[in-house]
Parts: sequence; structure tokens; C-alpha cells
Amino acid sequence: MTTMEFSAMVQKYQALVYTVCHQLVPDEGEAQDLTQETFLAAWRAIDRCPQGFEKQWLARIAANKAKDYLRSAWVRRVNTPGDQVLALDAAPPGCEPEQQVLDALGEEELTGMILALREPYRTPCRLVMLEQYTAAQAAKLCGRPEKTVSAQLSRARKMLAQQLCTQQEGGRVHGTVSG
Amino acid sequence: MELFRDDGCFTEEGLHALLCGQLDEMGRLEAAEHLAYCDRCMDRYTALLTADALETPPRSARSAVMTTIWVRLMQSTLGRGAVAAVAAVLALTMWRSGSLMQLMQHRQLTTWQPSASQSQTEETDQRLGKPVEDDDRPVKENENLGKPVEDTPHRKDKLTMADAVNGLLFGSDARRLP
Repeated sequence: MTTMEFSAMVQKYQALVYTVCHQLVPDEGEAQDLTQETFLAAWRAIDRCPQGFEKQWLARIAANKAKDYLRSAWVRRVNTPGDQVLALDAAPPGCEPEQQVLDALGEEELTGMILALREPYRTPCRLVMLEQYTAAQAAKLCGRPEKTVSAQLSRARKMLAQQLCTQQEGGRVHGTVSG
Repeated sequence: MELFRDDGCFTEEGLHALLCGQLDEMGRLEAAEHLAYCDRCMDRYTALLTADALETPPRSARSAVMTTIWVRLMQSTLGRGAVAAVAAVLALTMWRSGSLMQLMQHRQLTTWQPSASQSQTEETDQRLGKPVEDDDRPVKENENLGKPVEDTPHRKDKLTMADAVNGLLFGSDARRLP
């Protein structure tokens, strides 16, 4: 594809790409930047563009760009210093706080919590935490990219740990009142 | 509101919420992750993005994108051209000044050249399988090996010269010295 043809393609699909980016990332400036990044990535991989499916192909690149942006933004915010929700006293070095919380759970309680998770977390968590598959095997079974499954597992552990902390705090308050 | 069905794909109301911008940050992240790999939901989603559903970007992306592409193309082309030009000028300068020839001769003398040391000429082929000989040794000396040493005229000349020198330095008695 020549640069002139690509220029025409940008003109034709810029509204679509911007819409996808803006629906996933509400900030106008960020959506505009992601639109440009999408077209630059499309130019680099233009040989792989399937004929007749330019719309879906560009929308997928835009979704990927938005995903990377949202994931980094989410990680930045969740792992900010001062977030004490998951910090546990006397946690041994090298042990993830979320994993420590989950290890402390009984088998029945953990199974119940995992099966109560919503999609898209339930299936990978069931496969990895209950059925002892690896993340790579679970990704294959779910038909999802391995990196996505790893990110979903990590987020699910945080959710479970947070649920447990909330339950424990509720129990402590309840115990104090009743005692 | 459930964003995903049990099979992992978008619910109708989830897809509608995405189109209307009603999802929270976590929902948008999950939606982006799902659209990044699910062909079925991508088809459903793009089918809903008709002309009336599209938003107009605040400023055209075309000029910015094409400018960036042109800059990168020129950087790549100019970069390669500049490297080739510098290499050509350097080679020409070295050739004109003669330093290239000097450098090549120096390399021939100092560097180990596998092609020269390992190649076998006709001469070396002829010597293969024969006992090793000292090529520098004169053939005549080889013939005298194992025979008693004789005073050769050459030897006499040498002694005569030594006697003459001793005579000059220490007088005539020096001729008797061993």
C-alpha cells in the first residue's frame, strides 16, 4: 500500500478509530493520541491487513491500544504507595499478600468465593486455582491470550483478597458490638 | 448490569453500555481486553458502529499521522544515505592519500592469513609423505654428515686469518696458542 492509499484509509476510518478509542478511554486528548498511535501501528503492520476487513482490523488495533493504556493506568492507581488494603503484618518476604490471604482460606470457602466471581474472572480462576492448570493451559482452554489471563488472574486475586478483608473487618466490628 | 455472559462474550446490555459510554474504568478495561481477542464480539461491536454512531474527532488525525510517517520515512532514508556518503568519502580519502594501501600491506604482514598458510602449492604437494628435511641446510654439508672432520682449505683460510690477528695483537708467539 502506498502512502497516498494509506492517507485515504486514514481519512476514511479516523472517525471509527476515534470512536472506539473514546468509548474505551473517555479523555478526549488521550483518545486522540490513541487514534494516532493506532494508525501508526497500522502503517507498520499494513501487510497483515486482511482485505475487506479493514474496519474490524483497525478497531482491534484501537482496542489493543486502549487496553494497554487502561491496564497501565489501572496498575498505576492500584499499586500507589499508601494503599494499605492488601498489606499484611509480618508477611514473609517473597510472598504476595493476595496469595497469603488466599492460602489462609479453607478449601470450601475459597471454592465458593471463586465460583461466585463474575466473568471474565470465574473461568480462568476455576481452572488455575481449583483445577491446578497453569496460566498457559488455562489461556488455551479459555481461548484467550496468556497475558490477558495472567492479568485477569492477578486482578481476581486482588478482588478475592479485598472481599476477604472486608468480611474480616465486618466480622471484627460485629464481634465488638456483640461482645 | 452484567457485562459478560457465562460463555465469556458481551451481553447485549453490556455492548449497549459500551456504545453509550456508561461503563466504569474496570468495565472499560475488561471490554478492551475482550475486544482485543474475540472476533465474534468485535464483529457485533463494529456492526453497531454505523455512520450515525460515529464521533467526529476534535481535529483531523490524517495530517498528524501522515506527517509522522513522512518524518520517519525521511529519517530512515536520509540516515542510510548519510551513512553511505560518509563511508564513500572516507574510503576515497584513504585511497587518495595512500594510507589504504599502507594499511592493507601492514595487515598482510601482521595478520594471520588462513588462505596463505593453509593452501597447498604444487611444491608442497610433492613433498608430502617424504621425511622432513631442513631446507636451509646446504646439500654439501648433508653429504659430510657421519664422516671424520677434515681440514678443508676454507678452514685453513680461517686459521690463517686468526693467526694473523693474533700475531698483530700478541706477537709471533701467539701462533702457538690453541
